[in-house]
Amino acid sequence: MLVIALSAIAIAYGSAFFPTGAPHWAPWLLALGIPFSLGAIMILGAARGARGVGPLKIPFAFVIVTLAVGFCAALILPATESPASTLWLGLPARAAIVIYGIGLLPIIVLPVAYALTFESQTLTADDIERVRSLAREIAKNQTTSAASDDPSS
Amino acid sequence: MTSLSGFILLIQTSLPSAAQPAVIAVGALYFAVVIAISVWAARRTRTATDFFVAGKGIGLVALTVASVSVSVSGFAFIGGPGLIYAVGLGAMYIVLPASVTNVMGAWVLAKRMRLLGEARGLMTIPDAIGARYRSPAAQGLAGVGMLVGIVGYMATNALAMGVVINSIFDVGLGWGIWIGMGITLAYSASGGILAGIYNDVFQGTLMAVASVLVFLFVLDFGGGLGAISQTILGADPAFLGPWGKLTPLAALSFFFVFSMGSLGQPQAVHKYYMLRDPLQLKWYPLLKTLGLVLVLLLYFGVGVGVKAFVESGRMAPLASPDQATPSLLLHVTPIVLAALVFSGVAAATMSAANSFINIGAAIVMHDLPIAFGRRLRNELLWGRAVTILIAAAAAITAQLSGSMVAFLGIFGWGLFASTLVPALAVGLNWQGATKAGAMASMAAGLIVTLALEIAAYNKAFTFPAGVTASAVALVLSFLIFFLVSWLTRQTAAAAIDPDVRLVMEL
Repeated sequence: MLVIALSAIAIAYGSAFFPTGAPHWAPWLLALGIPFSLGAIMILGAARGARGVGPLKIPFAFVIVTLAVGFCAALILPATESPASTLWLGLPARAAIVIYGIGLLPIIVLPVAYALTFESQTLTADDIERVRSLAREIAKNQTTSAASDDPSS
Repeated sequence: MTSLSGFILLIQTSLPSAAQPAVIAVGALYFAVVIAISVWAARRTRTATDFFVAGKGIGLVALTVASVSVSVSGFAFIGGPGLIYAVGLGAMYIVLPASVTNVMGAWVLAKRMRLLGEARGLMTIPDAIGARYRSPAAQGLAGVGMLVGIVGYMATNALAMGVVINSIFDVGLGWGIWIGMGITLAYSASGGILAGIYNDVFQGTLMAVASVLVFLFVLDFGGGLGAISQTILGADPAFLGPWGKLTPLAALSFFFVFSMGSLGQPQAVHKYYMLRDPLQLKWYPLLKTLGLVLVLLLYFGVGVGVKAFVESGRMAPLASPDQATPSLLLHVTPIVLAALVFSGVAAATMSAANSFINIGAAIVMHDLPIAFGRRLRNELLWGRAVTILIAAAAAITAQLSGSMVAFLGIFGWGLFASTLVPALAVGLNWQGATKAGAMASMAAGLIVTLALEIAAYNKAFTFPAGVTASAVALVLSFLIFFLVSWLTRQTAAAAIDPDVRLVMEL
């Protein structure tokens, strides 16, 4: 998914070098490529072996969809901003989608999901002890190996 | 249409003189606190690990506030609001990625880097790359790429520091640069990252308080966000369109570079090594994101507020967009608030400079010797010496190179992104990545960024609207990383040490 999303972004940038300028579909590739590339790299980081991302698939899907819908809505909705515009929490509709939808909604979901799934999905005291234990074992083997290589010993 | 170069140039603003008794008094108090913290930290710095990663002994709240502080430069206070004033909401795409970047960094990098620190006693970002690919050469290449970016960042911050100190104390730009760098150097060289962290905590708190107060003042003065929006919609509706006055491609490009690129910013990533207890990572993304939102309120509030105040005739038209914050502070807000913000801007530049001095010194005295097969005996002594050299070089570059400093600042962020993100962020999570893929991607990021930025700076080449060197280099670096790793995939599995493999699998 990461490679496909980044390829879409690369095609969008490449198309901007056309003599006629960026085609109308170029921003759409970015609007979809960015959410999927960010989602893919988060999934890559959060996955734990065969267990995958477990319950995190819901917040990841939510954020990918929120960003994609937000960007696409900004592209597709007509420009109707005027003094008569209805304001949503103080902003016209398209601006509110960008500021509150793209800028604030993920804040409510992602860090909370990270904290709530931390022990099951990210890190436990046992994990840390496994790393420390292996490090001690490697250090011990290296010391033994160095001593056996030393002709004076 | 505004390019990435254009917005970075806004950092190089010439601020009006704010040298009034209240501003000077708050500024002097600010520097007195910084010096006191530095003296305290210097007495607690005894080893190279203390100096570069604070002995892995920083608590959650301190690390979070420090990380917020180094993630925000003076641009968020001066250049950013000016950019919103100039191009409208399109400028928000630089800061909107903060909604995902902190937690993304936590999932992708924080745990694995902190555990690598636990397993190997690592101190630097190139250390992690060297361990992952079992390659001193990869470690050295990452170090070189970062050093090139640090030169740009440091010179830009040194100049910004001079501009702010000159504005507060009216001492002249040259003296401003040397006073700012001198104080930053004093605490960097004596107290290392420990002084840096606790100064960052103080500076970050100051920035957040100043930002929230200014935001509340703007809302109150403008009659609320709704009234501010109504004023702008009556005069310039496109300003509040979803892309502002940028093209969709340009705005989305900002979002891509500033979201994905955040995974390669050493001033933030380096902090993952320092947390005392790795289990405290649980709350790190939430706290950092909330902290960033507070600090960035000024960015949005001043940019939008000043636009409305100028359109309604409550403020005089600005001479240039980057005067948005200074004009509001010096002509509209209470002077004490202005004093707080000017000290906050000084704080932002100093915390960023200190962080980069420390990271640069670690590369010179730790990573590059490892790449050449040597280890220095007294890393603490060498660390302090190199710190002085880097700070002096940055101050001299800032003073002598004129507009070249702005150019250096342009590619710093993009260079970190294109050289580090694929090899580090993907590499630590994907066992299919190879040393050849990592080195090819780092080399491509370095060369493509430098070549495109130099060509654009010398006007040998013009980017199409909405495309930046940083974005092109980042995408190319990713694709080369995947392609070369795939071509050399038979070497991937065998080239990971057991402890690194365990860290990657957890």
